[in-house]
Formats: sequence, structure tokens, C-alpha cells
Amino acid sequence: MKGIAKLGLVLAIFAAAACASLAVVYAITKPQIEAQDQIALTASLKEIFPEAVNFEDVTDKIASKDPNIKFLNAVLVKSENAPIGVAVKAAGPSYGGQATLLVGITLQRSIAGVRVLELKDTPGLGANANNPGYFVKKAEKVTFPGQFTGKYLTDAFAVKEDVIAITASTITSKSLTKIIKTAGDSAAEWLETVTADTSAETTGGK
Amino acid sequence: MKSLWKTFKQGIIYENPLLMLMIGLCSALAVTSSVSNGIGMGLAMTFVLLFSEIVISLFRKVIPNSARIPIFIIIIAAFTTMVDLVMKAYFPELSKSMGVFIPLIVVNCIIMGRVEAFASKQSFLPVVFDSLGMGLGYTWVLVAIAAFREILGNGTFAGIQVMPGNFQPILFFILPPGGFLVFGLLTSFNIWLKNRMAKSEKAKERA
Amino acid sequence: MDLIKIFLVAVLVNNVVLMRFLALCSYIGMTSDVGQSVGMGFAVTFVTVLATAATWPIYHFILVPLGLTFLQILIFILVIASLVQLVEFYLKKNIPGLYASMGIYLPLITTNCAILAVTFENISFKYSFIESIVYAVGVSIGYLLAMVLLAGLRDRMKSSPVPKFLQGTPILFITTALIGIAFMGFSGLIK
Repeated sequence: MKGIAKLGLVLAIFAAAACASLAVVYAITKPQIEAQDQIALTASLKEIFPEAVNFEDVTDKIASKDPNIKFLNAVLVKSENAPIGVAVKAAGPSYGGQATLLVGITLQRSIAGVRVLELKDTPGLGANANNPGYFVKKAEKVTFPGQFTGKYLTDAFAVKEDVIAITASTITSKSLTKIIKTAGDSAAEWLETVTADTSAETTGGK
Repeated sequence: MKSLWKTFKQGIIYENPLLMLMIGLCSALAVTSSVSNGIGMGLAMTFVLLFSEIVISLFRKVIPNSARIPIFIIIIAAFTTMVDLVMKAYFPELSKSMGVFIPLIVVNCIIMGRVEAFASKQSFLPVVFDSLGMGLGYTWVLVAIAAFREILGNGTFAGIQVMPGNFQPILFFILPPGGFLVFGLLTSFNIWLKNRMAKSEKAKERA
Repeated sequence: MDLIKIFLVAVLVNNVVLMRFLALCSYIGMTSDVGQSVGMGFAVTFVTVLATAATWPIYHFILVPLGLTFLQILIFILVIASLVQLVEFYLKKNIPGLYASMGIYLPLITTNCAILAVTFENISFKYSFIESIVYAVGVSIGYLLAMVLLAGLRDRMKSSPVPKFLQGTPILFITTALIGIAFMGFSGLIK
């Protein structure tokens, strides 16, 4: 009996020491881990909107119209004081599972830029969507997400018509295009309601 | 000093955990689709091995024999968690691409094997050399497999383009079946090497 | 619908052995005989489901409220290890018939990385309890499938002329690579 009590005590001491040291490491790394997603998001946002200074979280205000595509995050991007666009972090199904994209939309209802944040599709095929060295227009060095930059949301967004597909990866191309279009449409619709006042003023002035 | 050096060399070549003992295979195949993953996994593993062995060696006299396995597990799990947290905080990309394989270091047979067979019986210095040797032995094999797969499968080495531009990457090698194939060929080479080593040893004895 | 999807992805698309390299030790070690591989497969299924049923509530009802999520690895491995011990003890005492056929595999299961991986992923994928159980069953069935496939092929291999330099372990990996290529075909199954 005494032996078992001693065993238990030794075990408890080791377990307590392990927990205590882990708590210390956790306390040190916690802020950094939590900041990590935000850092990555801000970095991608700045790539799409180089003149961005302030970000306002509007995640609750923009809703996806497609049940399969979820909006994880939405931000209103501002320069010093005026809004310059909206960015939506959207996740939807692709060939190899969930794909997460960051889609930027300008006030003019065009795509400011697209970044692939997470993609699990086949390496060398679908995954080329996220390969900075893979070009859908070789001569101009335009990548798959790059081709959307400047495209207006009134366009068709049809793969193999106005969107160039990744070679041998039609499903990936279609899935990603759909995510971009869904995010863009919802964001543009919301922009309509926000900028209604300001745009009314400007058009009124004309 | 000489025996310490010998302990160190054991892990790197003669008792290489992956090549000779064939343990800890899961992570070795899963993370070797790129060199940076291989290096990251190798270092994470070496860290856990080094500190688990040191702690267990220091406390080997107070750890009761009948409760040693749970205590080993607690210690290994603690260091694994530390690596996991540090990776998440400072190397988020690497941590994401290795996913569940970092926490799985805790059930890697190499660590349990070394702790049970070596650290629980030896003093500080040999333990340090043993864990570094084993860790390095594990890492270099990982990097070698990863280099082979990444260069052929993606045309790059640690993300840097090394093959000429007109080289068409052989995708197969970075896909899971490619990992199995490469490892199969490696074990085949290894068996041949072992046989040769055994033969030359015999020849030495005769001479 | 989602549950069927989780199940199929776990069994075929992301097969735990063939696509994800988990549980390789037992995959190579326990497939020299079809009966044995089936026994191991069911033992793993049983423990994986049990481990999921135990670790999911522990994480969500104990670790999260207490802010102790950083103890996840430590707690999970200890829970699984003691669970295996308990099951072994229980079977030995109460169902000796089943123990005789499954018991020998139980000690090997503690270090089976597939089980620990499933319990971690249930948390990181943010699955609900039901989804977690379905995922656990799916992964284990995938494991069972891979085990039986290789064991069956090994049976045939005994009478096949394997090239000398591939005899033994190497041919097992090469065979696995070929089965894996076939399984790559499933990757477009789920959209």
C-alpha cells in the first residue's frame, strides 16, 4: 500500500512539474500565436491594397449567398480616412478539400486582387493556383489568381471563356472562380448600401 | 572522449533510427515532400529527444521502475507540446504544413526507444551525445529523402529552383505514392549496404 | 450528407495509411497474415472510437473552460494509454474469448499514431461530437481496408517471383506505392 502511495506521489510530482513548465511556455507563446493569423491577414491585405492604412472589421455585415462557401472574415479597407475597398476571406470546397481565398474588391466593383491563403489540391496540378511561378498567360507572366485583378464583377466569370483555367485542373479553376465571384458579389452588394450616401452626393453634384 | 564520439557516430550511421532500426517511419514519409519540412521536423525531433533524454537521465535514480513508462510519456509529451507551441508562434507556415505530425512526435518510437534503452541507464554526457547523434541521424536521412523527392517532383531544393527551366517536374515523387516508392528503394539499398558491411566484417575477422 | 462526406473522405480520399503515412509500423508489421490484419483492424477501430468518445468531451468540457488547452497532447496520450490498459483488463476478465483474439494487439495500439492523430484532428477540424465519431470510424475503416489489402497481396506475393533486390520490406513499400496510385483516383470523388 505504501509503495503505491509513493508511486502515485512521484507520478503526481512529475505531472505537476510538466504542467507548470508548459503553462510558462504557453504564456510566453500565446500572444504571438494569436497575433499570427492577424499578421498574415494584414500582410495579404497590404499586398492587395498597397495604400491601405486602416482596417475595419465588417465580418457580421457581409453574408455568403452560397451555402457551401463561408466568409471567415471581411474587412473594410481604408486609406487615411476614406474607404478604398472591401476584402473578404472566403472558404469553399475545391478538388482536394477546403480552399481559402482572400478577395479584394474596389469601390468600382472590380476585383482589386486575389490571394490564395490555403489550398489542398493536387501538387503540380490544382495547387498551381497558388504557385507564383505558374502563369496562365506566359508572355505577360499573369498567374491564375492574378488574372482576376481589375476584372469587373459584371463579367461572366466563366472558366474557359473569360477566365483562363489551370492546365488539367478544370475543377480547381471552377471552384476558385466560384469562391471569388460569390465573395465579390456579396461584397459589392454591401458596398452599395454603405456608399449609397456618399455616391448619391457625388452623382447628385453632377 | 573516444567513447562519447563513438556514441555520437552510432546514431548517425550504424544505428541510424530510420535506415538501420527502421523506426519512426510515419513522420519520415509524411513530411518529406519538401526539404524545409524535413529540416523542421528533424530539428523538432532532435529537440524533444535531447531534452527528454537529459531530464530522464538526471532523474533516473528517483524514477520508480514500475511507474517509469507513464513518467516517460509525461516528460516526452511536455517537450513535444513546447515544440508545438514555439513552432505555432514563430514558424506558422512550417507548423501549418506539418500539421498533426508535430504533436505526433510524442508517439514516435525513436524517442521512447532511446529513453528506455539508453537515457534511463546513462549519465549526462553520453546521453547528450546519444540524443544529438540520433537526432542528427534522423534529420540527415529526412533531408536526403526530401531533397530527392523535392528536386525530382518539383524541380526545387528548399523552395529554390535548381532544375533548368525546361525540366518538367515528375509530380509523382511529391505525391504520397512517390514517398512510398522512394522509401522502398532506400530500404532495398540499405539491405544491400548492411549485407556488405556484414561481409566485410567477416572478412576482417578471418584476416 | 456532411457525415457521409466526412466518412468517405476519411476512408478513401485521405486514407490514413496510403495517403497520410500514419500507423505505418503496424501496417508493415501486422500484415503477414490476413486474419491477423483483420484482428488488428478491428482492435484499432474499437480503441479509436472509444478514444474519441473519451477525449472529445474532456477537451470541450474540461480543458477549454479551464483554459488548459495547452495540455492537450499530454492529457490525450495519457487517456489513450490508460484506456487501452482498461480495455485489456476488462476483456481479460469478462470476455476471455474476445481477449484471446484481440488482446494481443492491444499493447501495440498505444503507440499507434493513427489513434492519437484522429483525436487531435477532431479538435483542430472543429468537428462536433457526432462528426468526430463518424470521422473516427471512417479513419479506422480506412486503416482496416489498407491492412487487408496489403495482407491479401502479401499472400499472393509468397508465390510470386519478386526480384531479389526487392525481397522483404522493400517490395511492401513498392506495393503500397502502387495501391496508393490507385487510391489517388478517389481524390476527385468529393466536391
